[in-house]
Amino acid sequence: MQRRRLMWLALVWPLTVTAAADRVKDVQVGDLDGRVIRPFATGAAASVVFFVATDCPVSNAYAPEIERVCREFAPRGVGCSLMYEDVDTAASPATLDRQVRTHLDEYKHRGLPAAIDRSRAVATAVRATITPTAVVVDRQGAVRYRGRVDNLYAALGKTRQQITSHDLRDALDAVLAGRPVAHPETEAIGCFITDPALLRTHEHE
Amino acid sequence: MSRRILLAFFAVAVLWQSAGLSQAPARAAAPQSGTARVTFSETIAPIVYEKCVTCHRPGEAAPFSLVSYEDVAKRGALIAKVTASRYMPPWHATHGYGEFADERRLTDEQIAAIGEWVKQGMPRGDGAKMPRVPEFTDGWHLGKPDLILEMPAGYSVPAAGPDQFRNFVLPTKLTEDKWVRAVEFRPSARKVVHHAIFTWIKGGAAASRDGADGKPGFPGVGLPGLTESGALGGWATGGTPTFLPEGLAARLPMGSDFVLQTHFHLSGKPETERSLVGLYFADRAPERRLINIEAPPLFAFGRALDIAPGAKNHSIEDSLVLPVDVRAYAVSAHAHYLGREMKADATLPDGTQRPLLWIKDWDFNWQDSYTYKQPLDLPKGTRIDVKVVYDNSTDNPRNPRNPPRRVKFGLQSQDEMGAVSLLATARTKEDEQALMALLGERAKTALQAAFKNGDLVRMQQVLRIAEAPSQRITLVDRQGATVATMGEPGLLAQPAFSPDGSRVAAILTNRDSGYGDIWIYDTDGKGRALTADEEGDSTPVWSPDGRQIAYVRADFDTNGIYVRAADGAADGSARAELVYKHTTGAPLFLTDWSNAGLLCFWTGESIYALPLNGDRKPVELLRGRAGRISPDGRLIAYSDNNGGGPMKTYVRRLNLSAPATEVVQVHDGTALGGLVWRADGKALTFTSLAGLQVSGVWQVEISDAPTLAVGPPQMLFRPVGVATPAQLSSFATRDLERFLTLVPVR
Repeated sequence: MQRRRLMWLALVWPLTVTAAADRVKDVQVGDLDGRVIRPFATGAAASVVFFVATDCPVSNAYAPEIERVCREFAPRGVGCSLMYEDVDTAASPATLDRQVRTHLDEYKHRGLPAAIDRSRAVATAVRATITPTAVVVDRQGAVRYRGRVDNLYAALGKTRQQITSHDLRDALDAVLAGRPVAHPETEAIGCFITDPALLRTHEHE
Repeated sequence: MSRRILLAFFAVAVLWQSAGLSQAPARAAAPQSGTARVTFSETIAPIVYEKCVTCHRPGEAAPFSLVSYEDVAKRGALIAKVTASRYMPPWHATHGYGEFADERRLTDEQIAAIGEWVKQGMPRGDGAKMPRVPEFTDGWHLGKPDLILEMPAGYSVPAAGPDQFRNFVLPTKLTEDKWVRAVEFRPSARKVVHHAIFTWIKGGAAASRDGADGKPGFPGVGLPGLTESGALGGWATGGTPTFLPEGLAARLPMGSDFVLQTHFHLSGKPETERSLVGLYFADRAPERRLINIEAPPLFAFGRALDIAPGAKNHSIEDSLVLPVDVRAYAVSAHAHYLGREMKADATLPDGTQRPLLWIKDWDFNWQDSYTYKQPLDLPKGTRIDVKVVYDNSTDNPRNPRNPPRRVKFGLQSQDEMGAVSLLATARTKEDEQALMALLGERAKTALQAAFKNGDLVRMQQVLRIAEAPSQRITLVDRQGATVATMGEPGLLAQPAFSPDGSRVAAILTNRDSGYGDIWIYDTDGKGRALTADEEGDSTPVWSPDGRQIAYVRADFDTNGIYVRAADGAADGSARAELVYKHTTGAPLFLTDWSNAGLLCFWTGESIYALPLNGDRKPVELLRGRAGRISPDGRLIAYSDNNGGGPMKTYVRRLNLSAPATEVVQVHDGTALGGLVWRADGKALTFTSLAGLQVSGVWQVEISDAPTLAVGPPQMLFRPVGVATPAQLSSFATRDLERFLTLVPVR
């Protein structure tokens, strides 16, 4: 029991936050099994963090492409992780925990490190406001790309028949080749990441 | 193809014509206006319960529920954004342009209230003032159906990929004609079923295609070539079923299959769909029949629709004057991915304007039928004007082609069509006949135009492809006896042996797209795609060393000759080199790659040689077809009709300055192509024709010294299933021991 409680703490709290000048904060967060992960400092040549939500249809539609990108770039020294930005409105944190595990299973994400970003510390650190958003951080901890995975969506509900810009893949290619990223910032299309504090204000109204 | 079949085909292919059984969403509530303090319980919940929860509740199609305060509040910003942009609730008809029942739309005040609520921090409000969550029927909305049909097997929907259109065949086993008042559709995988269109098809024509690719149903948006069929409406996400008004009903004939054309929107994880369909019958035939008044007729078939790449505002217009009084119940529009805008207006005889429908941002995914709030009475003499606008530029994110390409009329989703249809009745039997006569006349005129402007020829080609039997590549010996087969059955053409006889290149046509790709078959019988593009590839010839393939790729008015490695992959990683571009628009057929590096092709009635070394300028050799250069390069065998006569086979010296007496006719019967030189250059095969069919494979001995002479022709065997003989340029091994035939498979 005691051990479980500690695990919850690990999930809820970012453990330490160290700031560095013009670098992304090295956020630490507990994964679903209580292990500490550092999404922006994986030790890899480049780290990609995908901000997703279990109930966002746009981020769900990207699940297979997220898997493909991570599988294809892993041999080239790219580390991936998933940050779940779900709002926890259930009475027990275990409910969302189960929901995320089911989601990882259903969307075949079993191999990727995944955490629930309950406090939004990870999203805040890199100014991610939409799911899905992909953020690429290089070995030095500098944010090199933030935005959409590709341009499949022209707007909500309006998908292209043909993807014409593979922004995340292009950014990873550039970072790995030591080139500047041509479009380091693109507009992500999807669902807003909600600040859970906003909802707590009205809990006992 | 008879006109009747073509018309019948249109009745089916164009499934979008709703028979008025379209299931419209729940009726909207009166608007609520924003107040100083906006709370969930008093203002937002009533809006959400009226307009959103039909779909946004557990087990329904929408991706998340909007039933509780938490459900809504945690997505407050998103809801404010999508309602402000009117992406949600989904409704594509322009407000105020035709008055529709069940308009799935928020008022400006409702949208402002949602925005204000989010701005105020989404207060919950007084719990006592919360409205009750609406109750929804779990089972059949319309009560127990008279007939329940179920998909015979579940269909596996993949996790990712482009949207899928799949047709499922549900046998009705009806022993008498029925009249359908309503169809209720219950998908099992609601997250991925976006819409479905219902038709009946008679005579097992749909059943015969069912499961052809090993999965339930069959793919595609059109059902070409089918005989008798009819429309029964459709369902889109959020739809609830309703009965047809005023005792109307649509016919469902005995012995027909109920066919569901389902559009799947893939969700990121695999699903299985096994739909249920409930049918509600009327006791007897209705007094008035439902008539589709469509403009342009036949979905713009015959209008020579031709949309230039980059065109942003290509429009077609059509008008008709009603010959009798008409009552319109519903209106629907159709186009494919380039369609952007559809507008329909009625001008009454007294000059009054009645808007019928205006869709400003057409979405192929929302093939709704819009039911008028009150049936619209349009008196005799009313003029109906329809305009359909297409956007074939890169600004249209739905454009299936990037860069955009020229697009013509066609059934595939990358082709275009377009029309607006009114679902209507006339007042009397006589009026019905007069209206049908006018619509029939319009269809006939469209067909005549299609015959003249080439639309018909292209359609016939599509139908031929759909109806052609599958064949299997079969190796036979000199007696015509089967030695081996290669690959899976398919719509195959132009098989060609590699120089060493170990592999075969052939054209395999995709039945749904109509495009041919080159496939390579190995001696072990396995086939793989060498090309996989949205072009028609044809007439593959092997290089003398067997390492490369030259072929023709057709792209509208140009034909290119390409060369690529024979062992390359089809995924685009292997490059194809364009060696010649032919821009006259006339078809081009490659027949030879000589030992000296000349590509031989014919177009019109002339044979050309294209040197692959040097400047690659084609040289006209002589008139004729199917030229084949002898192994030593001194002779050429070819077919020629001498200006309109029967085709004969000839051999002559390739030195074109040699006198014409050196031309030798090989055989006095009608013969075309199938010309293969034996490796020693001393024998040649050719094929004789009976009508358009190959009636025999022959061999002659050829001697070149001192003068050119041929021996007596010897017939080897009568082949099965060999078409396009002029392109059978390498259908024999170089020892003339093995031959390729395409044997139809049932």
